Amino acid sequence: MIVVKGTLKQRLGAWLLAAFGVLGTFLLIEAYTSAERAADRAYDSLLQAASLTIGEAVQWQGGQPVVEIPAAAFQMLATEQQERVFYTVVDSDGQSVTGNLDAAILETLHHQSSRQSEPVWSFLQYAGASIRVHGRQLKSAGWESVEPLQIWVGHTLSGRESLTQDLFTKALIRFVVMVMLTGLLMLVAIRTALGPVRRLRQLIRQRKADDVSPLNAEVPGELYDMAETLNALFERQREGRNALLRFSADASHQLKTPLAGLQSTSELALQSNQPEDWRQALQTVHDSSERTSRLAGQLLSLSRLRHAEAGSKTQIDLSDLLRKTITEWADRDIAKHHDLGMAALPDAPIYIQGEPWSLHELIGNLIDNALRYTPAGSEITLGLTKQENTVELRIQDNGPGVNPELLDRLHQPFERGGRQDTEGSGLGLAIVNSIVQRHQATLEIHSEPGHGLCVRILFPTLAEET
Amino acid sequence: MRLLIVEDDPLIADSLHQGLAPLGNTVEVFTSLKETRAALAHSQFDLVVLDLGLPDGSGLSLLAEIRERRDTTPIMILTARDGVAERVKGLDLGADDYLTKPFSLPELQARVRALLRRSQQRIDNHLRFGPLCFDPASGNATLFGEHLDLPPRELGLIEGLLLYAGRIAPREHLINRLFGFGEAGPNALEVYVSRLRKRLQGSGLRIRTLRGLGYRLEDDPE
Amino acid sequence: MARWLWPHFSAFVVTLFLAVSLPPSAAKAQNKTTLEVDAALDLPVVAPLLAAFERAHPEIEVSFQDRSTLEVDERARSASPAPDVVISSAMPWQMARVNDGLAQPLNSDAASEWPSWAKWRNEVFGFTFEPIVTVYRLNLARHMLPPQTHADLHTILNTHQEMLRGRVTTYSPSGSGIGYTLFQQDARYSPRFWDLVAALGAADVQLENSTQKMLEGLTDGRYWVGYNLLGSYAIQWARSHPELIVQIPQDYSLVMMRMAFIHRYAPNPEAARTFMNFLLSADGQQILAGETPLFSVLPDVVGPYTSQRLRDQVGERLYPIPIDASLLAFVDPMRRDVFMNRWRREIRILNP
Repeated sequence: MIVVKGTLKQRLGAWLLAAFGVLGTFLLIEAYTSAERAADRAYDSLLQAASLTIGEAVQWQGGQPVVEIPAAAFQMLATEQQERVFYTVVDSDGQSVTGNLDAAILETLHHQSSRQSEPVWSFLQYAGASIRVHGRQLKSAGWESVEPLQIWVGHTLSGRESLTQDLFTKALIRFVVMVMLTGLLMLVAIRTALGPVRRLRQLIRQRKADDVSPLNAEVPGELYDMAETLNALFERQREGRNALLRFSADASHQLKTPLAGLQSTSELALQSNQPEDWRQALQTVHDSSERTSRLAGQLLSLSRLRHAEAGSKTQIDLSDLLRKTITEWADRDIAKHHDLGMAALPDAPIYIQGEPWSLHELIGNLIDNALRYTPAGSEITLGLTKQENTVELRIQDNGPGVNPELLDRLHQPFERGGRQDTEGSGLGLAIVNSIVQRHQATLEIHSEPGHGLCVRILFPTLAEET
Repeated sequence: MRLLIVEDDPLIADSLHQGLAPLGNTVEVFTSLKETRAALAHSQFDLVVLDLGLPDGSGLSLLAEIRERRDTTPIMILTARDGVAERVKGLDLGADDYLTKPFSLPELQARVRALLRRSQQRIDNHLRFGPLCFDPASGNATLFGEHLDLPPRELGLIEGLLLYAGRIAPREHLINRLFGFGEAGPNALEVYVSRLRKRLQGSGLRIRTLRGLGYRLEDDPE
Repeated sequence: MARWLWPHFSAFVVTLFLAVSLPPSAAKAQNKTTLEVDAALDLPVVAPLLAAFERAHPEIEVSFQDRSTLEVDERARSASPAPDVVISSAMPWQMARVNDGLAQPLNSDAASEWPSWAKWRNEVFGFTFEPIVTVYRLNLARHMLPPQTHADLHTILNTHQEMLRGRVTTYSPSGSGIGYTLFQQDARYSPRFWDLVAALGAADVQLENSTQKMLEGLTDGRYWVGYNLLGSYAIQWARSHPELIVQIPQDYSLVMMRMAFIHRYAPNPEAARTFMNFLLSADGQQILAGETPLFSVLPDVVGPYTSQRLRDQVGERLYPIPIDASLLAFVDPMRRDVFMNRWRREIRILNP
């Protein structure tokens, strides 16, 4: 049963999605922080430029700083985003010379700056807004000794925020486009990669039903195993078909022989005028047709056993089955003249895994065989013994037995152990053998001429019983 | 006795008709389920021989219909040799016996006779085999109509054998009937069997031992 | 800092009840919202606009306070409760208040469609377009060529110094925020501005704190020439005073805009937005253009007083004072000190 469980596209898609999910989260976090950094760099340089412009405008008159704040400095600070702007110029006493930024706010930053005399960059809350401030010390070397000034500039953050958003959105769009392109490429790649599979399928579909020759196709390395497996399957099919053909030829030959006999017997009888001859011929016809129909039935059984799927096995009480089957056969006409019996069975049931119907058939065939290949009055005894790892089913007769040289061939179809005189078809043991194989059991045949035949079948016992 | 044969193959149907005619007063042959249903609706039969593979369906459905009506008419089904599953199903549905094709006419006749006898016993409550008769109600056994004066365990043995008339009566069954569970060894049974054999000598009946299986009351060929 | 700013117009407070169309029910009248508008803008000039607003929005009652720019600025910073809407012609100070965060943004269609050169941060909007003009008496033309440009003015100051002595007037840069702004702007555009200041000083220029005062002096003959007057008032005045000629300078002409913003702590922000939207709407601007001399900013408004019409007359020499961060430089105290020092120096330079 073939169950469709998702598609390769879905699987790859899911993997890709997971990969992009994890990767994407990191990438986007990184993109956001770097967008922020880039925006800060861009806008900080404006602060720096404004600070420089203000610094350029500082003049000293009589030891006092005079700043004619250039309007351009405000334009720079305000930027295109129309930021609110803040600035102040602070003298060495910490007093604001001019500006709208409260010098007290800058106290700590101020100290930092004068101590290190390095530019200060900071984010502050001021006048109800978040602002970025930049402060630096302006040293003026000159003829008169003058104290250093501090120039502070700042502005609100909307420009940074919108630039960050902008950069981030672009990064996001790039990322999404990349994901979509990758997805598209993946689809194309899957199509391409699955091309050989499609070609292989085409090749198999186009085959005729009875074509079991090996595949002749170019496949990528990954598909070699599959193609090889298919070829092995075809090989087995080929063998099976050949066996079937051989078997059919044998079977039709086997059927043809008695039919020919029937035909000649009835023709002879028709030429005769003697009722006595007719009666004899009719008897022959009756016996032969009975044999023939039995043969046909056995052929059917054998072919089914050989070619049908093994059915589901269940736990079976073999001693019970044995008793019932022998009883069934003992009541039949054919057993009337034989001493058919059962050796004492162990008290406890003997369980094996098996198909009930085929085991029934197996025992029946063993009894049938024994009945047909032994003379009237022979003793036939079936028995069952439980051994350590096996269960032994045994049938022993006291008939003429079989030449030991022929024993190995007995289980082959149409083999009658050198006995062409009986009604047997030569299929009984072949059927038995097939059933034995279906149960992973072993078949042993012993015989000494004059001392009858003993057939033993060893079944593996249930694992849980030991 | 009215026998009903449902079989679509004309050759087999004809031989069934020929073979069973001596057993009953009338034998009727039908070749389809439809006809058979019509016939069953109007008349009562004493036995039905039913082929399972019919042109307008499986005999199994007819079998189920008959048993659903609580009709206990004995039914023998005919199955193909490979129809194991069908055979099991048929017995489950309430068929009394089965034969696989091809079958020998004498065997068919013997089975049909046995079925008719069992069905007859259900009616008059007497167990019979040939000249031997046992009335379970009174515990009387007769041979050729003459009362057999036997101790209870031998009467019990006769009843046990007659219950399986013509077929093997399993040992365990007979031992349980005669001695109850675990009271006597297997040899005790053999003692009663040999006593009964003596009683039956010359009656045309014999008790055959089947090793490991049981005993069978059968016609003595001599 | 605003010590030198004294009232532009007399600092009377008019509470306006323009009951043009009284609402039908008294109950409805009680539900009226009172909108507090602090403005440095003459009530008579702006009355048609207010009337139209109250017609359009009967549920709002405008309490229009006509104050000096100094007062407007002072109240915007510290009045409690704060005014709803602040209107002033003192552009750098309006800008400084917005920069201080005292305005709240106006997010409306009218605001976003407003020309970008006439607004800042969507918080403050320049809603009038008032050219700065030179006004002279008609009889001046009998003695000399009337000044059509800044250079002409400089020339006649030099050539007719004696005749014009004491008869020239302009804004006091220390007494008027508008005057100061205009001079700063002049100084930015023309390097010869200080020559003009020197010439004005030589002619013993008379400094006034308002256009009204200058117009009155021109009308009664004290002054012959006035420099840097608000065109909006001058044009209206000249209609009833034919002896005065209003000249828009032909070299360049500054344009002043009244700037309005909604106070951040406005008690009635909703009504304030309604008022601002009306001010910026086509309807409001139509009234500005048709019924007041304040000139509409919008280019597609039709009327006698539109920026477009002004541009058609004067050409591309109109220089609106830009509404941007550079205005903040004018309120920088040190820069103002530097400017005033130079002014004082230049005005005496030819007149020791």
